[in-house]
Amino acid sequence: MFLNELSPISGVSGDEKRVREFIKKTIKDKVDELYEDKIGNLIALKKSKFSSTKGKFAFFAHMDEVGFMVTKINEDGKLSIQPIGGVDPRLLPGKRLRIGDKNILGVIGFKAIHLQENKTDVPKYQNLSVDIGMGKKSEAEKLVNVGDYAVFDVPFEEYDSHLIGKAFDDRGGCSLMMDLIFENLALPFDVYFAFVVQEEVGLRGSGIAAEEIKPDVAIVLETTTAGDNPELEEYRWATHIGDGPAITFMHRGYVVNKKVYDWIINTAERKNVKYQYKRRTAGGTDALSIAKRLSGIPAGVISIPCRYIHGPSSVMFKDDYHITLKLLKVLLEEGEVILS
Amino acid sequence: MKDIIKILTEISAPSGREDSIAEKILEVLDGNFDGYRRDKLGNLIVWKEGKSEKKILFDAHMDEIGVVVTNVDENGFLRIEAVGGVNPYTLVGSRINFSGITGVVGIEGESLKSAKENLKNLGFDVLFVDVGAKNKEEATNKVKIGSFGTYDAKFQDLGDRLVSKAMDDRIGCAVMIQLLKEMKEPLNSIYCVFAVQEELGLVGATVAGYDIEPDVAIAIDVTAHGDTPKAMKRIPMKLGNGPALKIMDGYSISDRKILEFLENLAEKEGIPYQLEILPFGGTDAGAYQRLKAGVPSATVSIVTRYVHSPNEMVDYKDVLNTVELLKIFANSEISF
Repeated sequence: MFLNELSPISGVSGDEKRVREFIKKTIKDKVDELYEDKIGNLIALKKSKFSSTKGKFAFFAHMDEVGFMVTKINEDGKLSIQPIGGVDPRLLPGKRLRIGDKNILGVIGFKAIHLQENKTDVPKYQNLSVDIGMGKKSEAEKLVNVGDYAVFDVPFEEYDSHLIGKAFDDRGGCSLMMDLIFENLALPFDVYFAFVVQEEVGLRGSGIAAEEIKPDVAIVLETTTAGDNPELEEYRWATHIGDGPAITFMHRGYVVNKKVYDWIINTAERKNVKYQYKRRTAGGTDALSIAKRLSGIPAGVISIPCRYIHGPSSVMFKDDYHITLKLLKVLLEEGEVILS
Repeated sequence: MKDIIKILTEISAPSGREDSIAEKILEVLDGNFDGYRRDKLGNLIVWKEGKSEKKILFDAHMDEIGVVVTNVDENGFLRIEAVGGVNPYTLVGSRINFSGITGVVGIEGESLKSAKENLKNLGFDVLFVDVGAKNKEEATNKVKIGSFGTYDAKFQDLGDRLVSKAMDDRIGCAVMIQLLKEMKEPLNSIYCVFAVQEELGLVGATVAGYDIEPDVAIAIDVTAHGDTPKAMKRIPMKLGNGPALKIMDGYSISDRKILEFLENLAEKEGIPYQLEILPFGGTDAGAYQRLKAGVPSATVSIVTRYVHSPNEMVDYKDVLNTVELLKIFANSEISF
């Protein structure tokens, strides 16, 4: 597992270079081809050892995470920010950010509770500012620039059963792909691994990677919301931590290709790999942009359930990660060949 | 043609689960084509070769709106979410068909007040489906999470007017089937795309033209009406006034040259037609227009009342006139 190393790296949409460099350096001796495309996707190929194989299979995971960008340095030395990707501003007051290439520490400020006229004031981006300890615009300008990216300042922590950290969405998927690259699997077909950019701002990198790879079938590896809050009835949960990989049958804008969906479910059933259904259809993944490329690419989605994604700290069960990895290995090695 | 419309509309095939309708279309076509294939996303593409070099793509989507089961509770009640634009108000009290299993849609309400409140701000979270199961096990033996369903409704022939579920867009499919049956030797090659997953966002049509590279694309789809009590004021379209030539909708502006060509044809041949502007919505034409370096595209609509309900109503003469107009179009020398 590489999540411990991937999670702390800053890599908001459009600024994935550190993530990309880490992955590149780690996998370069383990793959048959490795290149970076014009938009910044990193694409790796593991060739099948069998000579008679036809067709291409591709995994996709996005390197970018949600975060922020500095939009203005104010006269009082505080910074205005805007979200990159979906981050609920109600989560922000009092949180720490790391800003720009110099990793400047900032604290997100909101009107103190005793000054709020209405105690139910909800923070909005226009009312939040980031304090980097500078009292004047000219001082702040020495440390940060307009356009600097910012991420939550959160350490990665590992416990017996679970992991806590930032950016599990989708460094979890990146880690799965790296694990698959490191395993010496008997691949029945050539497998591409696309580490893509700018998913969080609208699935921008994946379609381009799909156009280059031209895979016959693609699987998107994601982390997905658990939503298994105890105050909610179980039948309202999207997924449940500990119940294994979540398989998507439909999400925003796309019903998962039935052949790919059946392939995943039937293989998991046949090989007794624990899985659960993704039980909400809101939200989209790169599968949508991949499916619509070229003359159509059947694409599926497999996700690790994860609590509090798009917030500062996510919680993932290690078992879910490892069972997901097992499912992927079984699909590659023992799943009936999907390409035909 | 009414028999074909009845057969097509009564098939249950929501977005992403189009195999049954694709098979039925091929059966009804009864070999009236030069070739066909299903592409990688499931679009059914049927063609007839013409004498000219020109390729005309006709498109109608074969999917319909529906629901998908997202959860089953301990007592055997199903939770559902929408597949495409399903109005929860239309769902309440209706029957759902999950591949032969019937369910009834109910609504939560622990007191009269909360029942009223739920109805006022109706969303899928307060709806459930009852398939007559007494517990979770019995329910999941009938319908699993991830099962797709559609409205359970029958075709009705009211004379000039026809009522059924899924007129959107099986009526377009019926028009294309009739075209293929009636055109023995078309001047231009015609490719009929029975597209998948239109209701989710033109998924099938986005890729269907990729290998065909047509010279022109015409989507045949339903559109809204303005001829019922206090219907939308700015919509002029009426049942029975002929095929509606779409000028624009929320997703595309029809190619002017195609539009004028169709208008002239209709005038010359004495086929009634009406002009359409829809302030919202979109059809597969929007996808073809954006394909590769662009395909000149337009939409010919069949005005339909109560779209996205179990009882969508069309005028039969509009359907026949649409077939006539497109038949002449396919046999015309075109310069697109």
